[in-house]
Amino acid sequence: MAQLLQFTITGLAIGMIYSLIALGFVVVWKSSGVANLSLGQLVLLLSWFTYSMLAQAGLPFYFGLPLVIVFALLLGWIIERIILRPLIAQPILSLITVTLGLAYFIEGIVVIIWPQSQASLPRLFPMETVHIGSAVVTQEYLWAALISVVLFILLSLYFRYNRMGIAMRATADDQKAVQACGIPVTKIFSRSWMFACVLAAVGGILMSSIGGIRQGLTETGLLAFSVVILGGLDSFAGAMIAGPIIGLVETVGSGYLANFIKWPEIRTVIPFIIIIIVMCVKPYGLFGENRIERI
Amino acid sequence: MKTKRFSPVMAIVLAIILLVTPLLTSCGPKVADTTKVLKIGMMTPSTGPVPEKGIPGQHGIQDAMEYINNELGGAGGYKIQVSWRDSAYDPAKVATIIQDFINEGDILFTTHSSSEMKMAQGTANEAGFPGLATFISTMNLHPAKHIYGPTPDYGDDFVALIKYYMDNIWTGTGKPKVALHLLSGSVGAGTLDGANAMAEELGVEIVATEYHAINTTSEIESLTRIKAKSPDVLIISGVPASTAIIIENAKTLGMYPGTTIMCASASFTKSLVDTVTAQSGADAIEGVYGVFHTVSWEDDVPGIAKAKEYCMKNHPSDYGNMDYLSTWATCLTIREILETAVKNVGYDVLSKGNAAAWKAVEEQGIQKLKGYKVEGLQGGTITYTAGDNRLDKYLRMYKVSGGKITPLGKWEEAPLIKYTQYGDK
Amino acid sequence: MDLPSGTRNYNYAEDMAIFRTKTHWFLLFALLVILFTAPLWFGNYWLSIANLIGITIIAVTGLNILTGYCGQLSIGHAGFMAVGAYTSVILTTRFNLPFLVGLICAGVMAGIIGMIFGIPSLRVKGFYLAISTIAAQAIIIWVIRGWTSVTGGYTGLEASPASIGNLILKSQTSEFFLILIITIIAIFAAKNLVRTRVGRAFVAIRDNDLAAEVMGINLFRYKLTAFFIGCFFAGIAGALLAHISRLASPEYFSFTNSVLYIGMIIIGGLGTTIGPIFGVIFFQLLNVLVTKLSPALQSAFPHLPGGFTSGIAPMLFGLAIILFLIFEPRGIAHRWQLFKSAYRFWPFSY
Repeated sequence: MAQLLQFTITGLAIGMIYSLIALGFVVVWKSSGVANLSLGQLVLLLSWFTYSMLAQAGLPFYFGLPLVIVFALLLGWIIERIILRPLIAQPILSLITVTLGLAYFIEGIVVIIWPQSQASLPRLFPMETVHIGSAVVTQEYLWAALISVVLFILLSLYFRYNRMGIAMRATADDQKAVQACGIPVTKIFSRSWMFACVLAAVGGILMSSIGGIRQGLTETGLLAFSVVILGGLDSFAGAMIAGPIIGLVETVGSGYLANFIKWPEIRTVIPFIIIIIVMCVKPYGLFGENRIERI
Repeated sequence: MKTKRFSPVMAIVLAIILLVTPLLTSCGPKVADTTKVLKIGMMTPSTGPVPEKGIPGQHGIQDAMEYINNELGGAGGYKIQVSWRDSAYDPAKVATIIQDFINEGDILFTTHSSSEMKMAQGTANEAGFPGLATFISTMNLHPAKHIYGPTPDYGDDFVALIKYYMDNIWTGTGKPKVALHLLSGSVGAGTLDGANAMAEELGVEIVATEYHAINTTSEIESLTRIKAKSPDVLIISGVPASTAIIIENAKTLGMYPGTTIMCASASFTKSLVDTVTAQSGADAIEGVYGVFHTVSWEDDVPGIAKAKEYCMKNHPSDYGNMDYLSTWATCLTIREILETAVKNVGYDVLSKGNAAAWKAVEEQGIQKLKGYKVEGLQGGTITYTAGDNRLDKYLRMYKVSGGKITPLGKWEEAPLIKYTQYGDK
Repeated sequence: MDLPSGTRNYNYAEDMAIFRTKTHWFLLFALLVILFTAPLWFGNYWLSIANLIGITIIAVTGLNILTGYCGQLSIGHAGFMAVGAYTSVILTTRFNLPFLVGLICAGVMAGIIGMIFGIPSLRVKGFYLAISTIAAQAIIIWVIRGWTSVTGGYTGLEASPASIGNLILKSQTSEFFLILIITIIAIFAAKNLVRTRVGRAFVAIRDNDLAAEVMGINLFRYKLTAFFIGCFFAGIAGALLAHISRLASPEYFSFTNSVLYIGMIIIGGLGTTIGPIFGVIFFQLLNVLVTKLSPALQSAFPHLPGGFTSGIAPMLFGLAIILFLIFEPRGIAHRWQLFKSAYRFWPFSY
């Protein structure tokens, strides 16, 4: 019982961070239909940038963290303007592979600028652990969960009530019609990438304050894919619900399965098994829109 | 329009890359060929997943070779010329680097880690190209072929850790419960081999075996399972980064203090202590045990004095790093090997850099090693015994106290273990 | 077009010929002579690079059939190579089957596994399919790592050198000939495959799968066929890799490699037979350049950032992918075509 509680709490907490990063994917997919496979690398890059600002340059939090957000906005704008803009209306194959190229590029940049493979951010949250029943969780996890929920609510409100947000939704629906209404579609694309980068930055800061900055952060990108596949590519609520589900299945499932299946690292493969199952049963996810194609 | 403007630039860039590649590579390494030198090849994983081991290792090679060539006059009167390569811990790259070493006429090669050696040993064993890995695992040495360990292997780590535990820490009755947390790869596999072969004999019970990935970010889940078995000892065999995560998470779960945590040699270095301290505070790593195959930086031996001098001069940030010290010791061993070989067969045979030279290095160099003290850097003496490719068999226990890795007690001899799964008889 | 000015085809055989003119045949002959005498003037190091290039060409040619011709994006190709590698090594070492049998079985086995993971392709495409192939790779590698009794886990399996009959191909040179011949067969097979009914069906599916279905192409059958053929090539390449490096290890088949293969076909030119060759050579030479130059650069410029020499390779390669996609989506192969026609029409502009 104590084990189950520990697994559940850890799983939910980790899952909330997956959700946060998955939101960054959904924002871009929803407005421009680009599948961003460089998600994990963006998280890594922005974590290292945070490290530079806070640890290497020694800036105080109230100055350093906003700077990171500004950098993330700038990065998103640059990526969209330079890399994605020329490829508007290209086949989906090009749109996916260009983000793979971007991922590779960022990995190289990170190695060049920060050759040390690991580092720790200065403490953002108190060190005391929190006891829930017999389970233990560090405070970072709780903060991370809280921040993801807040960001989810903000994003949902933005997309529901803000003029730009509504335009972004409309773009996802029908680009030509939106353009005909005089809404600058390119501006919407660049805004979505800026959002995605900010979400990656926040996710990166949270992840690296939990486990330090590691190359392994790029794999959170892969986990975020399983979240969006389960939740549906174009649904914020889907990502928000699927994240904790993936986290739970991953920790609780492997927590007990590992007693029977002696193959190592079963935890890392569970999200992928979920992907395959979802793909065969309900390819468009729990909340995704089932698109009908025309010739 | 765009494509038209782009095409000449693209064509020129491509043409330059294609033309320049063979030119540069053919004129690169031949610069210092004018004097008589002994050529060896060395690789470190300076990038990729474990630069925290590779970069200090690379610096160790640079400084030790500077010392050997300038102060000791090389080996047998000939300077040692090192072709160093960054393997990036990438198997395909290791395979081409080995071919490159062979092609250059190197007479000996080293890798930093057992994983790199695993990728290189197929080619090397077949060609008879002798190699050493600074950190070596059971699968590299068994069955004994052309790969040698300047230090004991990861299987021996387990034996040394458990021996120390049984003699000095264990006070209960019955068999102590041991949990293993292993890096999936040659490092963890080596420790597991040692555990499978020797646990019974040493009188311990293995209650849990968990694995972690090299770039893991959280091991709460696997540690929860280990915690449920309430082990007396947790042995972690991984790289510094992954070991740090496990120690931090064990602290979070309240397993430590309580369970004794012991680390195998691959992880027990300065960067482990630094990482855990930065992330979870100094008390999270205080009192963790570890095993290592060289002396500590605080010991008063001639080798340390020299290493310290060169380290402070060239790479002060590596001071206190065990990887740096390990490669330093390996370089001294290589010098001894080459000196013995030069003495026994002469420079002319070795300078050919072909199969005959490799055979000479192995049979008249490595296998004639006897009683070399490595300037006091290692516990035993570098001595070859037939059938055992470990050149040194001694390990020493360390403990983190006051944020420093401090030695405990005497050196422990590790016996030769037969691993039937690799074809030992 | 593809033929020099003034060359006319008078019958079907001429129209279908790959090598049409005497110059074509002469150039082919010259190329083959150069390739087959390569060991005379290559050192072992360059031979090992050439072997790696050959193996990668085989794998990437398979991926090109699957992705470039049939439009099914697969980011798990290295996983299917692993299946081939292990199949062949297990068959040749445990069951003592001849190398060639092991090689064919490796291809078939990888093809079958590929077909199984290709089943989702019937319902999903684009990003969904890409993710499910990533998942396929992760699962395959996990099984290989875990199933120690069969695959040896992390230790891997020792592989015997390739052999044909009593001839054991141990040296770099003999391996080079083996790989060269198989690579030529693979390229030739791929070139001809895409000109058959099956190949045209693939192209139809890539361009518009709904339209293809309406035209009477059985999507299920052809998509799975594409997966089978693509993964068959991967299996062969994986088996060769294991035999020449004497080791089947999961570490050879990382996710990064799968991404690289995609990058290679993009740079070389999607949906052309010559594209993969250009892409692979481009990447491998870039890699060699960086490995060879890094020690020199690091000693020449001690103030370079520590990771410069090794970060530069992924950075340049990622940059190349991006630049090619933006400026030349048809890859080096298209440039090569332009160069050929410019050469033929010289001194006229067209």
